[in-house]
Amino acid sequence: MAEAMAESYNRDSEPTTRTLLRRVLDTADTLTPRRRRSARVSAQKALLETPSSRRLSSPTKMNVRRRSHRARSIGRLAHVHTSGNLEEQTPRTLLKNILLTAPESSVMMPESVVKPVPTPQVVQSSRRESSRGSLELQLPELEPPTTLALGLLAPGRRKQRQRLSVFQQGMDQGLPLSQEPRGNGSASSLTSSLNLTFATPLQPQSAQRPGLARRPPTRRAVDVGAFLQDLRDTSLALASPGDSLRTPVATLPTDTVLEDTQPFSQPLIGRSPSVYHSLPCLSHTEAEDAKRAVSHRTQSSGPRLQNHNPGKPTQLLAGKAKKVDALAVSFPNNSSAVSGEDGVEPLQDGVGEEAEERMEESLSVSKVVATTGTQGSVRMEKSKGHREMTEAAEAKEPEGSSGASLELASSTTEFLQARRPQFLEPAPPPSAAVLSSEPLEPLSTRLPPRARTPGPRPRQDPHKTGLSHYVKLFSFYAKMPMEKAALEMVEKCLDKYFQHLCDDLEVFAAHAGRKTVRPEDLELLMRRQGLVNDQVSLHVLVERHLPLEYRQLLIPCAFSGNSVFPAQ
Amino acid sequence: MAFSTTVSQRKHIKRKAPRGFLKRVFKRQKPHLRLETSGDLLVHLNCLLFVRRLAEESRMNAFESKCGVIKKEHVQAAAKLFFSPTQPELRGMKENC
Repeated sequence: MAEAMAESYNRDSEPTTRTLLRRVLDTADTLTPRRRRSARVSAQKALLETPSSRRLSSPTKMNVRRRSHRARSIGRLAHVHTSGNLEEQTPRTLLKNILLTAPESSVMMPESVVKPVPTPQVVQSSRRESSRGSLELQLPELEPPTTLALGLLAPGRRKQRQRLSVFQQGMDQGLPLSQEPRGNGSASSLTSSLNLTFATPLQPQSAQRPGLARRPPTRRAVDVGAFLQDLRDTSLALASPGDSLRTPVATLPTDTVLEDTQPFSQPLIGRSPSVYHSLPCLSHTEAEDAKRAVSHRTQSSGPRLQNHNPGKPTQLLAGKAKKVDALAVSFPNNSSAVSGEDGVEPLQDGVGEEAEERMEESLSVSKVVATTGTQGSVRMEKSKGHREMTEAAEAKEPEGSSGASLELASSTTEFLQARRPQFLEPAPPPSAAVLSSEPLEPLSTRLPPRARTPGPRPRQDPHKTGLSHYVKLFSFYAKMPMEKAALEMVEKCLDKYFQHLCDDLEVFAAHAGRKTVRPEDLELLMRRQGLVNDQVSLHVLVERHLPLEYRQLLIPCAFSGNSVFPAQ
Repeated sequence: MAFSTTVSQRKHIKRKAPRGFLKRVFKRQKPHLRLETSGDLLVHLNCLLFVRRLAEESRMNAFESKCGVIKKEHVQAAAKLFFSPTQPELRGMKENC
């Protein structure tokens, strides 16, 4: 019998409501009903509730649902059976009837609940029986209309329960339910949920909460594509717009040809991590875009190159194209320069981001700088710096490095556009000091050639940056908009202040016969300034204005073990 | 010791003191002198207080001239208080305190 099977199944898996009811029936004494239906219904409900209350997790919903169905079934059964034998309607008999007629499905088989629902007109017990028989065998055959019917289901309390059941089924199935589990338990979920007892535990989670689902890496690839697109656009916008239309198409084939000739390309240092993440599927389109962009670059830089290295433009172009490809594409897809990429990969591993930034800076420089001389010097510097970073020793490296630097410059500048903010902070190599300002400026704004000597770094620069820290504080404390002239005035005041400060400290230290300025001198200075007086001590000021970490360093505090830090 | 003189990496200090900058400035000005480790923190404290006073003074000047923007003249007038003979500044300081 199906019931026997179900019973055994239930007993094997877990003590279900059914088994508990069975036990109740076996053990409990028969009671005479006080009132026919209501007592029975209430007793049955109480019986149902007690076992269901023992459940904690999803089974409770099942129980709730079952309870609702049982209540309904009880009513129906009572109606059906009371006509037969009114005198023998006890809770026990009714429960027996429930066990006989109630759906065999366990928690993971919510079909039984769902199936009877859509047709409330029919006697549910009979329907359930028929559906039950078909349930276990024809799980995948639930029709979609049932889901709709589910959604429109019974009013009031039952509606809630139905929704819960539907929700439960949807959860089991793993369909992405909306917040309201209203009829979203589609037929497919209902059908497949029957068999998928514990098959897909994880899937429902993500489906239920799509926000937590792991996104496929395609997203990242798409971003790279857009990134390249932006690069291409910016690169195109940079150079002569007229050529941009023609060059991309014209240079594509040349690029591929050049690409093949290049035995290796400089490693895309910082790109490798991102490249590894990107999907290969996007590589092709991106490679094309990159190629176009690179080709455009190469076009612009080609004439400059030829002034320098007539033999290198091919390498440069190929390298650029390769680099762009490597940037955009995962390596396996790039068939043109396999050997180069083999060399690229170890390089990538070895090279850090600094080299990439150098390249980028060189790229930015190459883009902006019109004069070949500066470019060449920059390139050589870059190449040297780059070579220091790279470990691969390849035959063409000496040649390629200088060209590669340019390649890197040209191709990475494009990417630099979008990634500029990331690379602003890291300190560029000394040769790139001149170029450090390049990344700071948007390409579109400034194109005038900078024949800047990378000579003595002006003393002002670090001084100004340090002062700017206090200037920002000034504007913060002022709480009002300030003019640029006012800010410069503040800088001057700060300079004067520092001079006065140092002089005073010297005097104080000399007065104490020391050559080292100590905190006592500072305190004396502040006392003279009126900041520290008898009411306000230095420690109070330190506590007020300095962050906690500095306070720990300044104010001696006693610790366990009879120790004081900082030591006096 | 219970505490280390260096801040661990995970600690992110807000409003850090530019200790290197201060040390460099002092060295440039007085190469024959030395500055102690905690000394530059106090120098930073002094700078903070100075900047605060200067800003408030400039702000007051701007208010008095019924200006919504702090102008160069306001800052200059405020600076005069600080770099002139100390007596008027002390008076101003004691009022603020």
